[in-house]
Amino acid sequence: MTIVLNTLETNDHDDEIATLVSNMGNEVEMIKTSGMNISHCMGCNHCFLKTPGVCAIKDDYEQILRKLAGAQNLWLISDTRFGFIDYRGKRVMDRILPMLNMNIEFRNGRMRHSIRYAPLNVGLIYKGHGVQDMLEEWCERTSDNLGGHSLGATALMGRKEGA
Amino acid sequence: MHIVIINGSPRVKQFSNTDKIIQSFATGLEEDGSTYELYSLSDRKEWDAAREAYIANDNIIIAMPLYVECVPSLLLEFLDTLPTKRTKPAQLSFILHSGFDEGFQLRLGERFLRALPAQLGCTYGGCLVKGGTFTIRTSKPQDAEKMTKPYQAMGRLFAQRGTFITKEAAKFTGPEQYPWLLRLIVGLLLKKVVNNKFERFAQGCGCVRPLDYKAYQDNS
Repeated sequence: MTIVLNTLETNDHDDEIATLVSNMGNEVEMIKTSGMNISHCMGCNHCFLKTPGVCAIKDDYEQILRKLAGAQNLWLISDTRFGFIDYRGKRVMDRILPMLNMNIEFRNGRMRHSIRYAPLNVGLIYKGHGVQDMLEEWCERTSDNLGGHSLGATALMGRKEGA
Repeated sequence: MHIVIINGSPRVKQFSNTDKIIQSFATGLEEDGSTYELYSLSDRKEWDAAREAYIANDNIIIAMPLYVECVPSLLLEFLDTLPTKRTKPAQLSFILHSGFDEGFQLRLGERFLRALPAQLGCTYGGCLVKGGTFTIRTSKPQDAEKMTKPYQAMGRLFAQRGTFITKEAAKFTGPEQYPWLLRLIVGLLLKKVVNNKFERFAQGCGCVRPLDYKAYQDNS
C-alpha cells in the first residue's frame, strides 16, 4: 500500500501530481490535507510512553496514522520554504512519531527508535525552490528512521500537460 | 551584549528540555555580563512579542530540539511570519539538540540552519549542536542539572566571543558516531537494561500497554 499525503494549498499542480501518482502502482491512496484539522506535534511523548502508538492530539491526523500503519510507502507532496519542506509538509511528518516506539537500537550503525509496524519507505514530491540534495538527504534520513529506504525527492515542474 | 533568545520547541515551557538548556546557557551569558530576553513559541500569545524583539534587536539565538531530521514544524511556521529583509543588521545563531547522542543525527538540521540567516537578511552566528538530551525532563533535578550544566560554559563563551563558530563549540557536540565496539556494548545495554527501564518508567506514567504495542495493527 502506498499513501500519498498532499499538503499543497493550491490545485495548480493537480494534473502533474495525478500523472506521478498513476505511476506508483495499483494500491495507492492520496489524502489531501488542506481541508483537514492537523496540529503541530507538541512533543508530549505520550505516543511513546503513555499511550503507545496513539497520539495525544485528537484531530484529523489519526485517520492518516491508521493508513500508515498498514503502508509500505509514503510520498509527501509539499510546498517549500527556505529551500526545505514548508511547515505544512513538515507538520504531517512531525506527527509520524507513533510509527516508532520508545525502545532504542542500532540500525545501520546509528542509534534509532524501533519501528512499531513494517518498514516505511519515504519519498518527497515538492513544489518551489527546494534544495534538491538537502531534500534527498532528508528523505534518506527519514526513511532510515522508519526502517525503510528513500524513494527520492522529485520537483514538480509546474508545466501543464503536454507543454 | 543583549541577546534575544527564542525557544522554538513546541513543548510547553514547564516540560521543555530546550527551556532547561536555555536557562543554563543564559546563566553563563549573565555571568559574563550579557543580558537576554526569552520568548517561547509553544505559547502562541508570545509570537508577536518574539517577532517584534527579533526585528528590533541585532543578536538573536533560536534554540530548538530536532524533530524528524530538521527543525520542528511549529518553528517553521513562525519563521514564515518573519520579514525577509531587515533595516537593522542582525546575527542569527542557533542551539540545536536531540535525544540521541550522536552528532551525526543533527547535521541535516544544522545544514538547514546554516543557510537560513541569509534568507532572512541576517548573518550566521553558528549553531551549537549536541545530542543526548531526551532524559533531561524525566531525570531527577540533580541529574537534569548535570546534563544542562555544560551549556552554562557555552553561554559564557558566547558572551565573550559573540558566536558559536569556535573550536570549543565544535568540540561540544561530542562524537559523530559511536565506534563499533561501543555500539556493540551500548546495543547490548539498550536491549538488556535501558529499554526495560523505559518500560518501567512508562508504567509509572500510567501506561498499561507494552511500549511496542501496535495500536492500529488491524488497520481499521
